Amino acid sequence: MSLLSIKSLSLTLGGQPILRGIDLEVEKGEVIGVIGPNGSGKTTLFNVLSGFLKPTHGKIHFKQTDMTGMAASERARIGIGRVFQNFGVFREMTLEENVLVALEALPKEQRLVLGDLKKAVHSTLKLVHLEDHAKKKANSLSGGQMRLLEIARTLVSGKELFLLDEPTAGVSPKMTGQIADLILTLKKEGKTVLIIEHDLPFIQKICDRVIVLDVGEIALQGKPDDVRHNGKLKELYFGADPTD
Amino acid sequence: MNYLLHILTMIGLSIPNILGYNLIFGRGKFLHFGPIATSLFSSYAMFLTLRETGNYLSAFFVGLLASLLLSSFFAWLALRLESDALGILTIAMHLALLSVVLNWSSLTRGALGLPQIPRITGMLSLPVFASVSIVIALLWIFFMVRVHRSWLGRELSALAENRAHAEALGINRARVTLSAFLIGGLGATITNTLYPQYIGLLHPNDYQFSNLIFFILCVVAGGPGSVRGVVISIVLLTSLQELIRFLPLPLGLIGPMRLLFFGLILIIAVYIRRKEIFPMQRSV
Ligand SMILES: Nc1ncnc2c1ncn2[C@@H]1O[C@H](COP(=O)(O)OP(=O)(O)O)[C@@H](O)[C@H]1O
Ligand SMILES: [Mg+2]
Repeated sequence: MSLLSIKSLSLTLGGQPILRGIDLEVEKGEVIGVIGPNGSGKTTLFNVLSGFLKPTHGKIHFKQTDMTGMAASERARIGIGRVFQNFGVFREMTLEENVLVALEALPKEQRLVLGDLKKAVHSTLKLVHLEDHAKKKANSLSGGQMRLLEIARTLVSGKELFLLDEPTAGVSPKMTGQIADLILTLKKEGKTVLIIEHDLPFIQKICDRVIVLDVGEIALQGKPDDVRHNGKLKELYFGADPTD
Repeated sequence: MNYLLHILTMIGLSIPNILGYNLIFGRGKFLHFGPIATSLFSSYAMFLTLRETGNYLSAFFVGLLASLLLSSFFAWLALRLESDALGILTIAMHLALLSVVLNWSSLTRGALGLPQIPRITGMLSLPVFASVSIVIALLWIFFMVRVHRSWLGRELSALAENRAHAEALGINRARVTLSAFLIGGLGATITNTLYPQYIGLLHPNDYQFSNLIFFILCVVAGGPGSVRGVVISIVLLTSLQELIRFLPLPLGLIGPMRLLFFGLILIIAVYIRRKEIFPMQRSV
């Protein structure tokens, strides 16, 4: 059985169809790239999966449980982690508090497994080399550092499915490498990852499979190499070569 | 000496209620304008029970229950309404409760208030009353510092900064909101158990909008969400409020002058802290 199963998922907002009949089976341990032109519904798909938007049609199962009607915070507690396009760290809180608040929100059994939360916070910050900034407010970080912090926080929170929305957007090229490494760590640990990304070489490096969204539909899917060289991809981007 | 004790008592009595409100409005950034409504409801429930039963313990529990009930209702509203609607509705609740108290004279004696509120035995003298108030205030400050440093403080901050980001971590908004409002309700009950005893009278004028302005002023001037800052502003502003009485002004002018003065400080404080009070919400 797949870890995540999406069946004929549709969403209409204000009379406008945003997602149209999406079917997707995601196996445990898979890393899937989600690409598509701006406005094709990638973030919206993540918002439906995270529980911020209720689908008009369709069902979502996670670990064999129907979570179509589940609230966002409940989904987080059963193992869905989200990394936001616009940075999900709390800028007015210190780095330490940013991690601690995530660990405290975990179900009790998971918190007990972590043991001393202060230590877990420290090792999280260490994982992304931010331990010296523990007491600083997150708004003092660069975009890349915020993203690393957010991914590390989600990793330590024991999430199983990661929804990463443009993790390299607004990040310096130097940090992009670090983020790719961290995502590969997720993969090594057997985590399942859906990642929205524009950078095709980046996708090719880390993904097992790519799906291409176009006006709310899966227009194309397959292995990264096959998708990249499929003529339809260029068509979707209106002739613009997304590789350059 | 007596005057100093009086000011200390007034400060001590304000602290539980205003620091509780600071958790909701300052730290949680809820546009909640109902702390005086809660106080009014709680104290009338308490002292009407006292009048009927003569038993302080049962009166206290009725007052506490009333306060927690109304606080839960406000929390429920806060979970369901947008910020602006919550603000308007809590002000409307305050207004509605005030007019019930003022007009249901057969029960509440309306604008006359409930006179001859007895002090609990042992708290009859001013020095004792002042000491008890200060000790309770100190205990409450200690408790509030703990709350602000706990998961509740952090989760309130997280939700205030970005609700979606907080919920995506698994933070339960209902639990956090209810906890904050219940703590606010507890603070309101403590203050309102003591204050009418202190002046020997439960009077609707002590629950007017000017009091709400004073609460907001203390929180905004002290720094929303900061326990230390709000305690400092309670100390300074309460002293100021009491000292204004000594200005050489005609009696009828003192009230309006005070309101004008505090209004002015509020405007300045809100302007200086506008970024903290109305944080920018980022979307998903
Ligand atoms: N809350 C909303 N209400 C109405 N329309 C929305 C909402 N969120 C997104 N949309 C629309 O849905 C479409 C897809 O948006 P989005 O998922 O953000 O695209 P992507 O992430 O692929 O760039 C866009 O046309 C956008 O305007
Ligand atoms: Mg997007």
